[in-house]
Amino acid sequence: MYGAGFENLKALIVEDNQHMRSLLRALLNSAGIKDVAEAAHGQGGLEVLRERKSDLVLTDMIMKPMDGLELTRLIRNDERSPNPFVPIIMISGHTEKYKVEAARDAGVTEFLAKPITAQNLFARIAEIVERPRAFVRCDNYFGPDRRRHQNDDYPGPWRRKDDFQQTEVR
Amino acid sequence: MSQKSDKHGKKIPKGVQMIAPDAYPQMLSKPQAARALHTLRSNDTATKAQVAMEAAIPPMRAAILQYVADLEQAAGDMKKQFEIAHEIRGFAENAGMITTGRIAEILCRYMDDMVRLAKPWDATIVVLHTSAIARAARAEEDDVRMGEVVAAELAALVARRLSGPESH
Repeated sequence: MYGAGFENLKALIVEDNQHMRSLLRALLNSAGIKDVAEAAHGQGGLEVLRERKSDLVLTDMIMKPMDGLELTRLIRNDERSPNPFVPIIMISGHTEKYKVEAARDAGVTEFLAKPITAQNLFARIAEIVERPRAFVRCDNYFGPDRRRHQNDDYPGPWRRKDDFQQTEVR
Repeated sequence: MSQKSDKHGKKIPKGVQMIAPDAYPQMLSKPQAARALHTLRSNDTATKAQVAMEAAIPPMRAAILQYVADLEQAAGDMKKQFEIAHEIRGFAENAGMITTGRIAEILCRYMDDMVRLAKPWDATIVVLHTSAIARAARAEEDDVRMGEVVAAELAALVARRLSGPESH
């Protein structure tokens, strides 16, 4: 039988607005993701994650008492985290550069700006499915590789610190 | 000892561990992933998603009207105004309230820029936007054209204020 591909996938939505939770659930359902749990804040999301396996997390950024950034950091770094590698899509109306960078540095896999569209949400999920990213572990970060694009034909000068280290090794 | 490289041949700095995608559990198996991509890109899924988006409009509209009332009541409380304005920006278009979302977007951009510049907000700009958001939200269906004019004027006002000497 030719199924949707998502039959066994378990998703978790962490969002403080019940209408947005309902919309996200309905969109996931429309793609065949039927097993969807919900939480209204980061703390609740963490509890759901510990009780129930989740393969995909959609989280808002600004929530109380625990926001999506803290939730992401705990999923990635807490020793009791049930799945530090779980894909996390952060969905937020706060799209200022420093907030998107904070999300990236917390360890999110994808960032989606509100207002959402089905196309954009599905594109983020497709990106996770089609091009899973390597994870990086170092002193101050654990999460998906933050270098999104590798341009092997880059014509400009090399300016990154590790570019020079690389040159020296040669 | 030679330095390790990633799949692009780029050297991995010391103290950094790279974990390749096939070395940790993936969301889907490869056969499932192929079917999932087909599903995500199918017309059938797009149609179902469109129905879901449209079904969300009435409850979201009610939620936006509540946010607008909260924004009006938050006059003078900058932190609360900032949070509510961003909520309206995030939800209004999903509620089908395009003009409301556009005006909230202008207000949020102004607030974000002033936060970035560590400057206090001009209360007049916030009051004007709050008033315009409220009018657009409550008259969204029959006042779209006027809302667009108001949005354009407010955007011009914010642009002038942001480029003026007081913002530098």
